[in-house]
Amino acid sequence: MNGLPENWENLSWQEKREERFKRWLNPPDVKFVSPEAEKLYKERVTRLIKAIKIEEPDRVPVFLPTGNFPAFWGGSSFRELMYDYKKGHDIWKKFMVEFGDMDIFSGPAFIPCGPIAEAIPSVTQKLPGLGLPEDAPMNQFVEGEYMMADEYDLLMMDPTDYNMRVMLPRTTPFFEPFKRMPPMRSFFGNYWMMALTDPGVRKVFETLLSLTDEQLKWQMAGMEINNYFRAHGYPALWGGGIMVGAPFDHFADALRGTRGIVMDMYRQPKKLHEAMERYLQWTIESSIKNFPMSASPICMMPLHKGDDTFMSDKQFAEFYWPGLRAVFMAMINEGLVPMPFAEGRYNNRLKQIADTPKSGVVWWFDQTDMKEAKKTIGDICCIAGNVPSSVVMTGTAAQVKEICRKLIEDCGPGGGFILAGGAHVDKGDIIDNLRAMMYAAKEYGVYKK
Amino acid sequence: MEGIKDWEELSWEDKREERFKKWLEAPGVKFNSPEAEKAYRERVTRFIKAIKLEKPDRVPMMIPVQFLPSIYAGYNLGTVMHDYVKLKEAWLKFLNDFEADSFLPPSLALPAKVLEMIDFKLLKWPGYSLPDDAPSYQFVEGEYMPPEEYDALIDDPADYLQRYFLPRAAGVFKPFSKLARLTPFVAIPVGYVGQFADPEIQKAYQTLFEASQECMKWAMALGEISQIGLVSGYPNIWGGMSQAPFDMVGDFLRGTRGIMMDIFQRPDKLQAAMARLTPIAISEAVNSANASGCPIIFIPLHKGTGGFMSNKQFEEFYWPTFKEVMMGLIDEGLVPLPFAEGNYEPRLEIIKDLPRSSTLWWFEHMDMAKAKKILGHTCIAGNVPVTMMVTGKPAEVKERCRQLIETCSPGGGYILTAGAWMDVGNHENLRAMMAAAKEYGKY
Repeated sequence: MNGLPENWENLSWQEKREERFKRWLNPPDVKFVSPEAEKLYKERVTRLIKAIKIEEPDRVPVFLPTGNFPAFWGGSSFRELMYDYKKGHDIWKKFMVEFGDMDIFSGPAFIPCGPIAEAIPSVTQKLPGLGLPEDAPMNQFVEGEYMMADEYDLLMMDPTDYNMRVMLPRTTPFFEPFKRMPPMRSFFGNYWMMALTDPGVRKVFETLLSLTDEQLKWQMAGMEINNYFRAHGYPALWGGGIMVGAPFDHFADALRGTRGIVMDMYRQPKKLHEAMERYLQWTIESSIKNFPMSASPICMMPLHKGDDTFMSDKQFAEFYWPGLRAVFMAMINEGLVPMPFAEGRYNNRLKQIADTPKSGVVWWFDQTDMKEAKKTIGDICCIAGNVPSSVVMTGTAAQVKEICRKLIEDCGPGGGFILAGGAHVDKGDIIDNLRAMMYAAKEYGVYKK
Repeated sequence: MEGIKDWEELSWEDKREERFKKWLEAPGVKFNSPEAEKAYRERVTRFIKAIKLEKPDRVPMMIPVQFLPSIYAGYNLGTVMHDYVKLKEAWLKFLNDFEADSFLPPSLALPAKVLEMIDFKLLKWPGYSLPDDAPSYQFVEGEYMPPEEYDALIDDPADYLQRYFLPRAAGVFKPFSKLARLTPFVAIPVGYVGQFADPEIQKAYQTLFEASQECMKWAMALGEISQIGLVSGYPNIWGGMSQAPFDMVGDFLRGTRGIMMDIFQRPDKLQAAMARLTPIAISEAVNSANASGCPIIFIPLHKGTGGFMSNKQFEEFYWPTFKEVMMGLIDEGLVPLPFAEGNYEPRLEIIKDLPRSSTLWWFEHMDMAKAKKILGHTCIAGNVPVTMMVTGKPAEVKERCRQLIETCSPGGGYILTAGAWMDVGNHENLRAMMAAAKEYGKY
């Protein structure tokens, strides 16, 4: 059912990865529109695979920081696309034709289904028109102390019960009635019966059931656009679905908040370690192990609190890196390719993060010194980055091209480099600057045979 | 407990006093008559004093009846499980006709329609999978958890129950095995909604909605019966239920065969699972006692009885987590009422290790003189044989009660009852028991 070969368990990680690469290269679910499109698709994927494996492709591949820029370009907005799925897709299709050659095509990202977001408003996420101005170009995560300092034991004793009856009502007021549910512990199943006699709880489930049609529409639209791009020869970079972060970030971002987690590092480091270890196991068991075959084996992993300025190297070594490395290793062992997005700077961390299998991880850097990165981890990891967003947004095409030239000069040799932005760009008159990145790769990034 | 200042700072005795006070005062209860109110207070006081090893006015009598009222009213269990009007009629008739110190609402006469609707597999019941006139339901033990799933249970009990155990325990939950684990990423609602698109999951919820409506009718009837018992002056003496962790694993998950194998083949896993279930058992009982206002927690015991395991195994596998559960309840001001089905005589020296007057032991097969001697620091209850209650003559029962009172009551700390519930048989024997308490049990 998950599309994995029968002897999966017995394969080495490299063999598993080859299986996934093969599937990426020859997607059985895609019917190419022309032999030309198929040829281009395979060239593009091969380029990426070689870069990941730190081999020399024909030229440096480019991962354009287009984000949700096409929405702006097409005269629409994040908000409109939350409701009008078709319009969004028409715009993206138009953008694809208009822009021309790209190595990777990024579809609409993180644009949730509007009717569902409205019906189930989340305290932890503001959206355009739902807590943010209507014209806001992206969503805003709202950090907070959602889990209290003394609740680690409660979480670890019975995590699903905690999530359901404590966490959900706090982060999503729609689930407020769950507070009144009895603990999910009855062996007799009368738990559910009694829980559902509460009109509030019942309403929650009725609403959830009533939203599934909209959810399906949204999901189908997403799948359709993905297939459309691939059929036209543009590979997707993200494999679909899996998005796991560093265990530390999970507790820092989603549960304890920055202030809370920093206190915990001093006041209850043991509890934090214990909880991160448990979370790591849950993640591996439920999200990573036997991950099905998907459109690509690459897993996007946004990283937050491990940045140079958030903690010391010593704290990084104690709290952040072991859990993150374990997640990497679990993914690698499934033949997946973790692609951490190191927001902020990772200059001080480069030595520590070198401790992974050769070519196992692709690091995407935001503001890290790429020359240093190439020097320190270039033999071990493919690196991607890092034309500053500020330059993409406000600079000239010539400036962008020059930065790309320099990056290719520093990071291109020997392969293992993907030219990318430091972060995605959502608006502005930037189409020429994006094109400049492509030109630079073609002009400076060709590997000599 | 809500409304008590500095609850956490109180000693267990002080906490218990607060809970006893609430039980005795029954705030919000509008009694039928001043007499009913007076009788209620007398009855509760009788139990409290017995538990505290003080001398009440007389030995209290815990009426040993579970399903008998259905037969007494001319119906049977199968009938009242289907018809809540008859359920209510039967229990109120019994309440009206028998004098006792306590009243047990039919919380285990489960709604048959609901059990049918959800295709419940852990019980057989009259009129469905047992003969119409069967006097009790039958628990269906089995290996609902294969041994390799211990880790999943230990790691996330609620998840395990929802996605592994319930789908096996009742047909309606079968599609729940397809649900995704509820991670804290639930803040992103789309992921949560997605799984409800599955038609089988939708159908499961529809069935659950219907079953819960039916269950509601039953719960309302049960609530009315309990309330009438209370306002008529009869205290509820079950504030909640709990279990020994060994029984939670043995009865529901692994079965007798499975758990006995585990004692030898994977003792560490078994211990880890019991350790995980211990705080859960405690918190569940505390919650239900808080809701009910009665501090007594009924704990039916199964696999630790004499004959099921050696004393050595009892001390290693059964007693430690069971004791922890009881200590957890005691620390919250609650009174564990372990019901030692079978023969606990071999265990007396082990189970005496609990704080003075903290517990109320109810024995089935037991040399009560020996129990009184060894457990003199705790209240004991029992144990007119059920065989005698069902088939004996009132005079015999009364005589046995007299002997028990003579043996167990000196100094307080004794509650008169049978060794188990009688579901059928000569109901006059209940009157004989009450008469004995009044005649021989005065202090």
